[in-house]
Amino acid sequence: MKSRIYLDYCATTPVHSIVRDAILSALEADFGNPSSLHWAGQNAAGLLKQARADVASALGCAPDEIIFTSGATEADNLAIFGGLKRLPPNKTHLITSAIEHHAVLHAAQELEREGCAVTCLPVDGRGLVDPEDVRRAIRPETALISIMLVNNEVGSIQPIAEISRIARERGICLHTDAVQGIGLLDVDVNALGVDMLSLSAHKIYGPKGIGALYVRRGIELSPLIVGGAQEGSRRAGTENVPGILGLAAAVKLVRGHRAEERARLLGLRERLVNAMQASGPGVIVNGPKGEVAPHVVSVSFEGADAEMLQIRLNQEGFAVSLGSACNSKSIEPSHVLTAMGLPREQIEATLRISLGMFTTEAELDLFVDALTRVLPRVAV
Amino acid sequence: MTTYKVCVVGGHCSNRVMIVAEQLTEFFEKQGIACQVVTHLAAGEYGFPPRSNLILQLLPAFTESEAGCPVINIKPLIGDPMHPATIEKILTQIQADYPT
Repeated sequence: MKSRIYLDYCATTPVHSIVRDAILSALEADFGNPSSLHWAGQNAAGLLKQARADVASALGCAPDEIIFTSGATEADNLAIFGGLKRLPPNKTHLITSAIEHHAVLHAAQELEREGCAVTCLPVDGRGLVDPEDVRRAIRPETALISIMLVNNEVGSIQPIAEISRIARERGICLHTDAVQGIGLLDVDVNALGVDMLSLSAHKIYGPKGIGALYVRRGIELSPLIVGGAQEGSRRAGTENVPGILGLAAAVKLVRGHRAEERARLLGLRERLVNAMQASGPGVIVNGPKGEVAPHVVSVSFEGADAEMLQIRLNQEGFAVSLGSACNSKSIEPSHVLTAMGLPREQIEATLRISLGMFTTEAELDLFVDALTRVLPRVAV
Repeated sequence: MTTYKVCVVGGHCSNRVMIVAEQLTEFFEKQGIACQVVTHLAAGEYGFPPRSNLILQLLPAFTESEAGCPVINIKPLIGDPMHPATIEKILTQIQADYPT
């Protein structure tokens, strides 16, 4: 049987056994509703409280600054819609970037339909926002800035700390989608200077369907989901205790191994890039050349059809992605690569390979072997 | 009488394949070319080529030796359903092995 090798950790990650055990115990023994006043509910409430404290500790914030959500998409929506709704009517301008995840971009488009002004900042060829562009875009009516920490397609790490200084100078709230950064970068909300931050469990070896939004004390949000007082009346609904315990376990897991895992993945990334470039001409790695998220490799193969390449690699047992998972079935090319100025032919020849905790040198060697075999068959 | 079968091959996007196949069906009807247009997505786990008289593919899925029939790249039809050079290649091939 052909072995299957997973190289799409940016799309999702396998659930780690430590996380699985935390979830199972909640499913089997700790099934109470945390809002119930009896022993079953209070047991669950205690676990929920600890999980919240664990997530808060990992981010460097207070427990009551954490809102658990169904994932980062909901967290992004809550930050943007919930954040703007509580502001005075003259605060009607959002600044974001052209390479945000669709959870932010589509929320921004919806705001525009509702009459809000939105500025979508460009990025350079490395996929980086210029903080001075942020400064120039600010207007008296600017209410919120939302710039992702790490881009999920090319791994560019945005200068959030610098952007936060600009935002603070002008008293503007800054949100960051930290989904791809939380596992490998040192994410401290105070060091970053952000006011809101989204994260997702299933990108860090946790379950799907659970995430969180950090909201600095003093920032008010209008809830998107009403019907209960859970999450400080900011997000109604009986808490997904197993999911939350899974998220907390995942956050603790990645935080505990962050520095060494970052170094390991950087080494693997370098090995992969070198091997691919040695395999033949026309291999271009997209994104920043210097500081880059160690787990993301966006690579273009000149003259190849990336869709057919991905299909052939899948048939060989390798799971890789065409750009981000969210647009792999869309006819339009990647909005991230387009914003970076890549020509359409190059975008259509681009794969995203993303590494993770279980990726080994041997797996990458097999991948490069398969790539070398398959590439001649997918020439345009 | 065997029907001349033209297979439009795509990758992941069934919408894209269907659109192109429908446009080609309409075109063949207008040209008076009697043939059956079918679709195939190459993204299956095993990726065997479909049995056809002619494969028109939106991506480099199969070679002629793999397919056992002529294969034409028709990716330009995604942006331009009447892309002249591509249409000419298709008509030339059909004329060659299915003279009307």
